[in-house]
Amino acid sequence: MTVRRATAEPRWVRLLLTGVALGFLFLFLVLPLIAVFWEAFAHGAQAYWEALKESEARSAMLLTLTIAAVVLPFNIAFGVAAAWAIAKFEFRGKSLLTTLIDLPFAVSPVVAGLIFIILFGAQGFFGSWLVANEIKIIFALPGMVLATLFVTFPFVARELIPLMQAQGRDEEEAAISLGASGWQMFWRVTLPNIKWGLMYGVILANARAMGEFGAVSVVSGHIRGETNTLPLHVEILYNEYNQIGAFAAATVLAFLGLVTLVAKTVVEWRMRKETEMLTADLPPEKTEQTPTVATERP
Amino acid sequence: MSIEIRNISKRFGNFVALDDLSLDIPTGELVALLGPSGCGKTTLLRIIAGMETPDSGNVLFGGEEATHVHARERQVGFVFQHYALFRHMSVFENVAFGLRVRPRKDRPSEAEIRERVMGLLKLVQLDWLAQRYPSQLSGGQRQRIALARALAVEPKVLLLDEPFGALDTKVRKELRRWLRRLHDEMHISSVFVTHDQEEALEVADRVVVMNRGHIEQIGSPDEVYSSPASPFVYQFLGNVNVFHSRLHGSWAEVEREGDARAAGSIAFVRPHDIELDVAPIAGGMTAGVRHVHRIGPLVRVELEHDGETIEVELTRERAASLDLPVGKTVWIKPRQAKVFAAEATAPAGKQPFLF
Repeated sequence: MTVRRATAEPRWVRLLLTGVALGFLFLFLVLPLIAVFWEAFAHGAQAYWEALKESEARSAMLLTLTIAAVVLPFNIAFGVAAAWAIAKFEFRGKSLLTTLIDLPFAVSPVVAGLIFIILFGAQGFFGSWLVANEIKIIFALPGMVLATLFVTFPFVARELIPLMQAQGRDEEEAAISLGASGWQMFWRVTLPNIKWGLMYGVILANARAMGEFGAVSVVSGHIRGETNTLPLHVEILYNEYNQIGAFAAATVLAFLGLVTLVAKTVVEWRMRKETEMLTADLPPEKTEQTPTVATERP
Repeated sequence: MSIEIRNISKRFGNFVALDDLSLDIPTGELVALLGPSGCGKTTLLRIIAGMETPDSGNVLFGGEEATHVHARERQVGFVFQHYALFRHMSVFENVAFGLRVRPRKDRPSEAEIRERVMGLLKLVQLDWLAQRYPSQLSGGQRQRIALARALAVEPKVLLLDEPFGALDTKVRKELRRWLRRLHDEMHISSVFVTHDQEEALEVADRVVVMNRGHIEQIGSPDEVYSSPASPFVYQFLGNVNVFHSRLHGSWAEVEREGDARAAGSIAFVRPHDIELDVAPIAGGMTAGVRHVHRIGPLVRVELEHDGETIEVELTRERAASLDLPVGKTVWIKPRQAKVFAAEATAPAGKQPFLF
């Protein structure tokens, strides 16, 4: 009789579970990805290339990149500030702030978009003032940036809060007592300790910023060549039965997704390596190195 | 540099951490703040360091007002219980940190920094580890690096928060002797926080015993141990037998002072201050042997008298000459006892602190 570990399942159970998981992944993740590329190249590489070179497609890509480039620095600044406040200080309303950070995850992106319409739309709270001063927010870049900011805000903060809580305040207090200013403490101690967590949050936020559809769709106005982001562009082309164009644009998004995935894996790997390094087993204390005070003074 | 603490109070919500506390620390002394957890000792240390602001009261450094001087400008070296080394910096960079963050006009040159850092690493005998990272060091090594880092900025005061608390017994003993010698070399005022009475008694020039946000007693290690000012100090520093004088009237009578009789009083006797014999002792009382523990050089005899437990410590030789089987009746008599009025020992309804 073979001896089996108490925690090990029978072979067929393991095979079945693995098979179901892999089959599901294939059906829902790999197959669609293949389909996207298949459709995009259905009329050959030439047609694919033409579809991407077209000016509206290019302006959609540029707009998507612009929004991401504007949103990310804000996300980093807000995320770090919020995480710092929550992880390292005690203050009134802290639990409220923690809840509010999660709000964008809880609210439907369409509702988020509508909020900005209500605030800045022509009939909105600030509408008349904005019109009077000829400031365009809704159906223009600022509105899309705001909507994207709203939906991507939690990523960086969510990633950093547990990390900063785990690290505590000791190192920062040590830096201050050694004479560092607040900025020196931040750049030399805080930031290096959270850099991988921050990177991870930024990657997730970036993926969401580039792929966001709902909130941006509400505030964009779908003006071709002007306020169409890549996801919106895909939808418009698809609705016009322009299969090649829609799927060609979709491949760009899929490609961005793959890049995100790779970057995320690399960062995760670095984070794990660093954690392993920090929690590595200590070598035994060298007892033969019994310290004696040297006579020289520092 | 001397440190003066004047009428410091600090609350955290409803918890009173420090209650109108005053303390003078003369230049060059090594002072231990000793007390159970929650007695306010770490809060006091953090207030001296400027990491916490008192609700009221003043801190003076060398006679100058420092209560609202920022932690960065206090020139205080702080050593944390869990080292707080910068984990992403090498040992060398950790020690150099305090020099590198100086404003450009005060910053030493790269060569000077190197010389200073290596000098300090030699002082703590870890210069061979300069390029390692904190995670590659043992606990004792980390704490020595933390000390070198604190000394790099030439602090006027060195503050250590449970510096050996996270280390194992053997390393702890070595390090505290080493700290004592280091202190004698450097002539710098040092304050360290500990809950370990042995550590405080062995290392410090003066011991400040704290309890519930105030100071119970200040004195040399010998003073606080041999003439404790309060029942708390008596019980916190070492083992003690507590006799309620009503039960053991004849004992407490001997040294009763003042109006202790009226209030009802409690006698404290250290286990090694009790004479034990198998033959009757004049003025002694009888007790039954319940257990005999041999702990290293000592033999601890647990006796029972009137349903109460009494501990007596004997040397191995003395115990061997007596022959003490369990159940035997012996005679005991305190060599010296200290009597406190009953209400001083503990607030109503609370057990006296048992170590």
